[in-house]
Amino acid sequence: MIQLKGIFKWVNSGGNRVFLLKDINLTIKEGEFISIMGPSGSGKSTLLNVVGMLDDFNEGEYNFIGQPVHQLKEKHRAQLYKSHIGFVFQAYHLIDELTVYENIETPLLYQNVKSSERQAIVADILDRFNIVGKKDLFPAQLSGGQQQLVGVARALVAKPKLILADEPTGNLNTKQGTEIMELFKQLNEEDGVTIIQATHSEKNAAYGSKIINLLDGRVEK
Amino acid sequence: MWGIKEGNMFKNYFTIAWRNMKRHKAYSAINILGLAIGIAACMLILQYVWLELSYENFQEKGDRIYRIQQDRYDSGKLSTQWAAGAYAVGNSFKEAIPEIEDYVKLVQNGRVTVDINHQPVKIEKVFYATVSFFNIFTYPLVAGDKNTALKDPYTVAVSVSTANRIFGTTNIIGKSIEMNRNVSYKVTAVYNDAPVNTQLKPDILLSYATFLSRSRSDQNDPETAWEWDGCLTYVLLQKGAIPKTVERKFLPIVDKFVGADMKKYNSGVTYKLQPLTDIHLYSNYMGEPDTNGDGKTVYLLLGIALFIVVIAWVNYINLATARAMTRAREVGVRKAIGSFRTQLIIQFLSEAAVLNGFALIVALAIVILAIPGFNALSGQSISFALFTQVRFWISLTALFITGVFLSGLYPAFVLSGFKPVEVLKGNIGGTKQSSGLRKSLIVFQFATSLFLLIGTVTVYQQIQYMRKQSLGINIDQTLVVNAPIVGVDSTYLRKMNAFKENLSQYPFVKNATVSTSIPGEPVQWNAGGIKLVGADDSKQKQYRVIGVDYDYLKTYDLKLIAGRDFSKSFGTDNSAVIFNRKGIEQLGFNNPEEALNKRIDFWGAQYTIVGVTENFHQQSLREAYEPLILRLIPDVNGYLSVKTEASQAAKTIELVKAQWNSFFPGNTFEYFFLDDHFNSQYRADQRFGQVFGIFTGLAILVACMGLFGLASFTTLQRSKEIGIRKVLGSSVTNILKLLYREFATLLLIAFVIATPIAWITTSNWLQSYAFRINVHWLYFVIPLILMILIAFITVSFQSIKAAIANPVKSLRSE
Repeated sequence: MIQLKGIFKWVNSGGNRVFLLKDINLTIKEGEFISIMGPSGSGKSTLLNVVGMLDDFNEGEYNFIGQPVHQLKEKHRAQLYKSHIGFVFQAYHLIDELTVYENIETPLLYQNVKSSERQAIVADILDRFNIVGKKDLFPAQLSGGQQQLVGVARALVAKPKLILADEPTGNLNTKQGTEIMELFKQLNEEDGVTIIQATHSEKNAAYGSKIINLLDGRVEK
Repeated sequence: MWGIKEGNMFKNYFTIAWRNMKRHKAYSAINILGLAIGIAACMLILQYVWLELSYENFQEKGDRIYRIQQDRYDSGKLSTQWAAGAYAVGNSFKEAIPEIEDYVKLVQNGRVTVDINHQPVKIEKVFYATVSFFNIFTYPLVAGDKNTALKDPYTVAVSVSTANRIFGTTNIIGKSIEMNRNVSYKVTAVYNDAPVNTQLKPDILLSYATFLSRSRSDQNDPETAWEWDGCLTYVLLQKGAIPKTVERKFLPIVDKFVGADMKKYNSGVTYKLQPLTDIHLYSNYMGEPDTNGDGKTVYLLLGIALFIVVIAWVNYINLATARAMTRAREVGVRKAIGSFRTQLIIQFLSEAAVLNGFALIVALAIVILAIPGFNALSGQSISFALFTQVRFWISLTALFITGVFLSGLYPAFVLSGFKPVEVLKGNIGGTKQSSGLRKSLIVFQFATSLFLLIGTVTVYQQIQYMRKQSLGINIDQTLVVNAPIVGVDSTYLRKMNAFKENLSQYPFVKNATVSTSIPGEPVQWNAGGIKLVGADDSKQKQYRVIGVDYDYLKTYDLKLIAGRDFSKSFGTDNSAVIFNRKGIEQLGFNNPEEALNKRIDFWGAQYTIVGVTENFHQQSLREAYEPLILRLIPDVNGYLSVKTEASQAAKTIELVKAQWNSFFPGNTFEYFFLDDHFNSQYRADQRFGQVFGIFTGLAILVACMGLFGLASFTTLQRSKEIGIRKVLGSSVTNILKLLYREFATLLLIAFVIATPIAWITTSNWLQSYAFRINVHWLYFVIPLILMILIAFITVSFQSIKAAIANPVKSLRSE
């Protein structure tokens, strides 16, 4: 599903080239649950952003479900990630002005899903995440764990093949974190969703079927 | 990407817009109120502008109708520009120029009286008109035949309202109307009243044949008179005729008829075609049938109205981009979860639409509330019928759409351009560019405000100057009565003398005089062909003439600079004239003494110059001094001016009225005080000044609201910097200096931009006044100081708060 070959990413700082990613080679198959670990600044987020096509890279090849991302134009790339990838953020990043229901619905709106269909999908997912009773609340009225739950629901609603989660439990307490991890596991096993998460926590990383360690932008062998 | 189901999307956008608006109340209020004031101001002024621009647009053949305008020259110099030219023009041109399909001659008759229930009633607008009037102009007949109406002498056409006034019905064909208690006319047509937006609003049209039968003599035929002015001529050109081509054919015709005379008298005359629809705004010549508007004023006001709206739009742009930081994260999230840039642009445009929509509703409320005030201010009569007009809604929609796109598009592009990775990390790129734009826009707002302020100060100064200037003629405590029309016969002089004699017995009546003109209006008697006896014919010039009795100079306190007043003790004074300074200068004398006892040729008779007066302002200071002759006509019929004691005004009116009714029965008693009459010339200027001032105030208010909002945001952005500076030991004053410096710099840049533009515009505006103030540096510096004060007070609300805030707070918020 994902093939990264010799990916380099750098920024120029005062004449020096600072590498954010250095010669990353990765192959991820559909249905895998990958945990990326590493200290702060090791490039976890950057790698996720590159995989999620939110960020560019300077060198290398990236194939996503058979498409050569490095050769695609911005617009095609955007189309590709928008229809296949869901994002879960450490800071949840829900839209403050929208209710739980509306937050979850938004990706479907962007994909022009019919109204009746949309209602069914959102109702389904609210039900599944046990947040039906909260659908009319605004993010500010929810706890962190509940917000992240909505964040995951929103990432899933458009039925992506891949979920990228950047420290999804970073702002949560242990109990809430465990719940989210259990949810990921379930999604991965029962629905076959491919998941890549970045995390500091060994315990959370263990939920993955494979762990990749990053240090200074390089995959530790 | 932009499919059929966009509708769902819009619902989402509007939800967000609505919730955002509720959450950021101050921001929304500034935007909505500013936009609403701008839109309301624009709509009100547009009403006025429309009316002014719509003159004659109801005339179905309006695009083919032209008025023949006449310029007369003396010794190669332009002397008089006429709206109403020579009588022979219409028929002579029609005969020789095939492109002229038809023509109509109109001659102003002035007011008449008609008895209704045995009481004389004044009817104001009376014209002589040729039969073709109803063919050329669109005044639909409700009775009568347009081909035969006004054909015969002593026939008339009457407007519906006049018919109803006199007869109580419009079914009056064949009935007769007696005017001035001496002549009867047969009604041949009744026409619909003219709308407001026309120069020609006749109450009664007398047949031109009547005029001919009265004025034709063996020596004189108006149909061949090229030296006799006062006839309005309108032509209807053939379809497709080119006015310029037609104009070129005038010269040879004029040459054929009067070329030889012109050469002899070293004078000249030219004719131009004025498009009917241009007359109201761009024409102000001798003999206009109505007071015209002023194109300059109309466009200046339109400009101000647009300025206010643009300032409000700029507020939106400035506040929206300044607020971009707070929206950046949302943009990042939306992009990450699948939004395309186009969709985000539409979203932000929708927000602009919601805000503008609210502004529109508030604007409508303001318009409703402001209509009475605006009417009082501008002298307009806008009613709520306004809301039934299609063009009102069209322009409202146009303002809305322009507003949404003009003010919404740029912020939409800035906001939608954020890169998700960066903004989700907390970095916002690209704000430098938009802060540069914000600064330029603030400069624009400041410059506009300064420009308008400078304009207001200048207009105000000019009006003050005009009102305070000594006129050279005393118009205070002067009661004026309109001339009698009925009973002006061989006994008139005796009656008038006795009347004045009677008045003078009362101690509070100081003087009384009769004259053909009074100060405060143009002298209607314009006489050409006047020269010194024995001088060459080529020295003939045109003069304004006022026929006066013996008491004119005394009553009006005119200052003689040479010679003497008219006096009954000189038996020869019936052929005496008094010139003004400008008049003797035109005769060729520089020293007034030289002109004394010189004799002039005036229409076949000779007159002696017995005195010279200083120049005085016959009209408002907008007009230059004109060469003037006061000619003694002991039995002159005209205005009666009565000078009275200040405290006795009411008593005087009563007395004069009683005397008037006994001496001149059958006449309406119409009086006014001359200073009011004179000052009414400035009404248009004052209105313009007031409207200008108020809308300038509104523009500045809207600009300040934006400035206030912006100051809040920038101060907020800099709160950390301020905190650090304070911790490092900076005083509150230093912090304030820091915050003010930026706005002060922008204000000074704006001043540099506004000054030359304002200089040119105000100088240009002042050009239309013969007597005017000089543009003064203070008119620029005062607005600048005022603007600095206003801007600083506005900014201070926020900056003082920030400067005295405890730094611990702002630093902790990081």
